[in-house]
Amino acid sequence: MEKMVNHSATRKVTVLNPAGLHARPSLTVAQTVRRSNSKVEIRTPEQTVDAADILQLLSLGVTQGTELDLSATGPDAEEVLDALAAQFADRFGLFGGPVG
Amino acid sequence: MLQRMELSGGKVVPDGDNGNIYVYVNPDEAERKYLVGTLKLDEHTLASALDPDELARLEFEPDHTAVIFKRPRNYSSDDMFVFRVVSVGLFLFADRLIVVLSEDIPLFQGKQFTRITTLQEVALKIIYSSISHFVEHLRVVSAVSDALEEQINSSMENKYLLSLFSLEKSLVYYLNGINSNGKLIERLKNSAAKLKLTTGSIEFVDDMIIENQQCYEQAATYSNILASMMDARVSIVSNNLNWLIKTLTIITIAIMLPTLVVSIFSMNVEFPGKNHPWAFWLIIAIALSSTFVVRLVWRWKRW
Repeated sequence: MEKMVNHSATRKVTVLNPAGLHARPSLTVAQTVRRSNSKVEIRTPEQTVDAADILQLLSLGVTQGTELDLSATGPDAEEVLDALAAQFADRFGLFGGPVG
Repeated sequence: MLQRMELSGGKVVPDGDNGNIYVYVNPDEAERKYLVGTLKLDEHTLASALDPDELARLEFEPDHTAVIFKRPRNYSSDDMFVFRVVSVGLFLFADRLIVVLSEDIPLFQGKQFTRITTLQEVALKIIYSSISHFVEHLRVVSAVSDALEEQINSSMENKYLLSLFSLEKSLVYYLNGINSNGKLIERLKNSAAKLKLTTGSIEFVDDMIIENQQCYEQAATYSNILASMMDARVSIVSNNLNWLIKTLTIITIAIMLPTLVVSIFSMNVEFPGKNHPWAFWLIIAIALSSTFVVRLVWRWKRW
């Protein structure tokens, strides 16, 4: 059986949505992380939350312009962070594509 | 705050000066005066567009049509799992459309905002986007409900139950909002001639009626599931607490009996075998045996 190798990766993203990380983006983040095999954490200056837990994401209270540190550990750490970074840049598809 | 947009190439695009679609986000006093004084919007209808408790409705004025409809409010972390609804006002004139809303939300995004040719179509698609918004928020409510259930299975606190009550309340708001929108869409269909809707627009209104009905049924299903399972979840939390109390009781009894044995032999009176060389070890053995006896009785009784 092939052994799973754990990787670590980090990314910095900025919340571009005017309403911050509200309900629909939080669900998108949690679903993306749950589909992966990695553990992802989101860090703000105040707290660190498990990105797979929608309850923690909704209680984060992140506003537009906030910089978040994403860190992942697992066999597909790079892939899941790439997917999340793309979603943040795309404003979770709610505003018709990336800014600028 | 005013944003001006216009119809260009079948899409709604920003246009700072010449756009005939005016979007007022939480209008200030001067903007309200302009809307009421210059554009002759009814003051009460304008207030309704900003009042979250107002019902959806359709009103015909001499030079425009006013539509008030409901859509989900953007969730913030201060809401504590209560998802609320807000009202949005559309004021459709022959040459312009005025949109009044209380918070900045993406109004003109999504594939439905393509190939638009008239202001009536823009108004219909804005109402349609609120149905999609409700459906997406219902998915969030479902995901939050699942996450809360996971927490409740191992919890002895009330906070997750209270969050579930908040979700239940949210679904009541959503059901009212969606139902109210349904009545409005029916009225739009009945007033198609007055609104000068094209055949294509009338077909679109028919689709909206179906989608809104599906959205309502989905919200009703989630609401029924939450309501019917609430008692079971309360019992789970209560049961978890009972297990904790039972464990603590076992520990208390297991400690209490050896203490009783040792206390009896500690009385300042003469008792047989007091000076026996093994007296200390005998008392310790009796004390430990008492714990073992408690365990045997516990298993025999299947407590």
